[in-house]
Amino acid sequence: MAQVEKFSYDNAIVRKFTYATIVFGVVGILVGLIAALQLVFPSLNLGIPETTFGRIRPLHTNAAIFAFVGNGIFMGVYYSLQRLLKTRMYSKFLSEFHFWGWQAIILAAAITLPLGITSAKEYAELEWPIDIAIALVWVAFGVNMFGTILKRREQHLYVAIWFYIATWVTVTVLHIGNNLELPVSLWKSYPVFAGVQDALIQWWYGHNAVAFFLTTPYLGLMYYYLPKAANRPVYSYKLSIIHFWALIFIYIWAGPHHLLYTSLPDWAQSLGTVFSIMLIAPSWGGMLNGLLTLRGAWDRVRQDPVLKFMVVAVTAYGMATFEGPMLSIKSVNAISHYTDWTIGHVHIGTLGWNGFLTFGILYWLLPRLFNTKLHSQKLANAHFWIGTLGILFYAIPLYWAGWTQSLMWKQFTPDGFLQYGNFLETVTQIIPMYALRALGGTLYVVGYFVMIYNLVKTIQAGSFIGDEEAEAPPASTWAVHTGKEHWHRWIERRPVQMLIAATIAILIGGIVEIFPMAMIDDQVPKIESVTPYTPLELEGRDIYIREGCLGCHSQMVRPFRSETERYGEYSKSGEFIYDRPFLWGSKRTGPDLHRVGGKYPDSWHYNHMLDPETTSPGSIMPPYPWLLRDELNTGNTAAKIRALQTLGTPYPEGYDQIAVDDLQKQAKIVADNLRKDGIDDDKLEEKEIVALIAYLQKLGTDIKPAPQAGN
Amino acid sequence: MRNKTLKLIPAALLLLLSSANAWGQAAGEAGATPYFYDNMLSYGMLALAAVVFIATLTALYNLLNIMVKVQQIRIYQEQGIEAYQEEVSKPKESIFQRLYKRMTSVVPVEKEEDILFDHEYDGIRELDNVLPPWWVAMFYVTIAFGVVYYTYYHFTGAGPSSAEEYKMEMERAEKAVQAYLATQANQVDETNVELLTDEQAIAAGKAIYEGKGTCFTCHGMFGEGGIGPNMTDPYWIHGGGIKDLFKTVKYGVPEKGMISWKDQLKPVEMQQVSSYILSLQGTNPPNPKEPQGELYQQVDNAAPADTSSTEVSEQKGDAIGMSE
Repeated sequence: MAQVEKFSYDNAIVRKFTYATIVFGVVGILVGLIAALQLVFPSLNLGIPETTFGRIRPLHTNAAIFAFVGNGIFMGVYYSLQRLLKTRMYSKFLSEFHFWGWQAIILAAAITLPLGITSAKEYAELEWPIDIAIALVWVAFGVNMFGTILKRREQHLYVAIWFYIATWVTVTVLHIGNNLELPVSLWKSYPVFAGVQDALIQWWYGHNAVAFFLTTPYLGLMYYYLPKAANRPVYSYKLSIIHFWALIFIYIWAGPHHLLYTSLPDWAQSLGTVFSIMLIAPSWGGMLNGLLTLRGAWDRVRQDPVLKFMVVAVTAYGMATFEGPMLSIKSVNAISHYTDWTIGHVHIGTLGWNGFLTFGILYWLLPRLFNTKLHSQKLANAHFWIGTLGILFYAIPLYWAGWTQSLMWKQFTPDGFLQYGNFLETVTQIIPMYALRALGGTLYVVGYFVMIYNLVKTIQAGSFIGDEEAEAPPASTWAVHTGKEHWHRWIERRPVQMLIAATIAILIGGIVEIFPMAMIDDQVPKIESVTPYTPLELEGRDIYIREGCLGCHSQMVRPFRSETERYGEYSKSGEFIYDRPFLWGSKRTGPDLHRVGGKYPDSWHYNHMLDPETTSPGSIMPPYPWLLRDELNTGNTAAKIRALQTLGTPYPEGYDQIAVDDLQKQAKIVADNLRKDGIDDDKLEEKEIVALIAYLQKLGTDIKPAPQAGN
Repeated sequence: MRNKTLKLIPAALLLLLSSANAWGQAAGEAGATPYFYDNMLSYGMLALAAVVFIATLTALYNLLNIMVKVQQIRIYQEQGIEAYQEEVSKPKESIFQRLYKRMTSVVPVEKEEDILFDHEYDGIRELDNVLPPWWVAMFYVTIAFGVVYYTYYHFTGAGPSSAEEYKMEMERAEKAVQAYLATQANQVDETNVELLTDEQAIAAGKAIYEGKGTCFTCHGMFGEGGIGPNMTDPYWIHGGGIKDLFKTVKYGVPEKGMISWKDQLKPVEMQQVSSYILSLQGTNPPNPKEPQGELYQQVDNAAPADTSSTEVSEQKGDAIGMSE
């Protein structure tokens, strides 16, 4: 074994991603804090469209997931991959392209989302040009990673790398699958699938964005950084194998648990439930392997802030992955869904698991990149306690708010009336909880700034090593394995086979669920009375999407007495066949809107948008005066009609030519209605509000029974 | 000891069978009552069955222990007294310690060198600990749950679909509401509603008007009108009597934007708010909306000739006088 090769690790790219992680962490959390405060003080949007809740909520989620955690993944992977494979990154160019490409995408997101350019799909809001850019950069990352794997000096792939591989292939599949859309213009597209199918694909994506962007890559990071920081052997190799394969195979099936009691067929809902329950053990396998690796090092956990952060992170992961399956049981979901319980749940995962693991890694990594010691253990400990308190103050009030509101929604009086018939009562009740949650978020931000100070001081004290020298025996010295060994060692020597096996594992669940839904027509029973949107309604719908109304309003009445009593007949899958994209939403900060059509006069909506407090005193919905002021852009209406025709919406041949005329005719009717009620504006029919009103008045009316009385 | 245990088993089995029989009977009776689990008797049976079940398990466990011991005695007889003494001198563990050991089956930290793999990745070593048995058990249980759940709901047809669940919920609620209403006094509806004039009722009506009814958003804080018509003048689109008003509030006039309140206000609340609205007649608030509909005249044929309706007529008279 005298043969040893000298080479160096590329730390410069790690440093770049590290800085990006730190910066976008601040951005993501601060935008979240602003959104949280807006739920207490709606006027904090300052009356500006771009800073209104509906538009900055996707900015927050995208910044936290793809900018903060995304850069965190790349930071962790670029550092660990080189060392686990005993080689330098495959291509300097691809590393740089990956880094700058990803930051450019983040910049594009930060510009387009506040402008209301969105495809309305949660965690996949970015429009098609950016989607293509994401695909390119992601492929560059994959090529760079696989190039590195192929020129490795380490014969076997360590468990962290299995997770990196599964992450890469699954995110690729999900991103492409959920962004199949037909462009109308540079910044507008309609998805290929409509209604129920679109919903199923979106939550197949959405759930697995959590699984394969927030979970599997971070498990990979845990498997590298936790044993390194604790200086302990990994508890069980066998557990790594079983929980890895079980996790990636089962995770992909669980998406429909986001659609329990919706119009999705029952068979698909139940698959979501049972696979979520089966997910407990594989998820806990990761937690156990993390926590049990610390056996014999618990005395150090008391001292070392890095280990403290990691312990809380892994524990939060265990809590969230137990709670998730519980929330997937239909009777629990009937209580939790659409409430803040869900928000509390995901933030245990993001603030606890992703946040704290990132902090632990940062405190461990930066001193090593800069060949120095952490500036202050004391400050790191302070950060740990402030952050932990922040998580508690964030989550507990939201759990409380979720339970309170859900119980209020469902409460009937003995004579059969809703106890809280006015939705607003159930909102004003929990505003104090929202205030406490914002306090928790503030604590978390304060802790974060303490960390930044500590890390900056560390960086200043050290000197950066751009190329870290290393040496290892070359691949030519690899042993030939013929004797007895664990069966899994075979695939650990074969990255391509591992990639193929992982791909098969993650494709099965998606295929079984999505293909029948997309291919078999009677999965969605047809309703004859359901008609496509008129051009005006369509434009109104696109305004609804632009303003992010779906961030607070669902369009899905579930088959519960408390919902049909409050909103009207429960939603049927056949009602959504022209919905591109579907707009079922996932949270009710305001009431469901699927049956709002015809419930109020046009002028009510006009006044409500001008100032929600005039029609709903105490409402936390912000005013939308710009809808009353801005003129509706009909420049794309014909193109939109053509795109929808291509996708299968049955507008008559050549309808795009007369669509704008139709639009103006309908706008005139709405405007006249408004004038009758004393609303004075001579250009009323040209305003955006008219389109939005037309859309809202259409909602849910296709199957609405005739009014019972009235003359 | 051994004989005793052996005798216990058939006895326990017999008990178990008889309790299952009793369970069956209880279930049969339950068909008559809607809530089987409300039946205390069935709880008793359930508890008894549980006790018997546990007793049976204990007996079986004892039996197994005895068989093991018998086997051990045979081994000691072959190996001699030393083997027995060695066994006895070993420290005894409590049942929980043994259970813990069995469920985690972990190799102690001091002995982990024995199970350390010789491969390492950037200094990271791996141990060959087995899968924690409790974790494996949990995995199997969840898989079994999945199979049973899916079979129950989708292959046997026994589990209700979401739509069937909804139907059942609605039927149950309907029954409960009817049962409750049967205990209440006569309900107010548009055929028998009467005008309320007492201060309390008017105040309650005002609270609804300005509160959860949100009437003021369309009809103005003082009934002067806005999106909706003026309600202080004697002109009415859908009739100005208490019965007309009650009906308008109850069913709404959806095509004109007046929503139906019957699902959000109780009958007595609709009576109160209608009465309050009529009490606004002739109050002449600022910024009134122009009159809409027809001049309403009290039709006496159906109305009960009580004092309240006379008062309304008088108020109306004043109002007409003023508007002219």
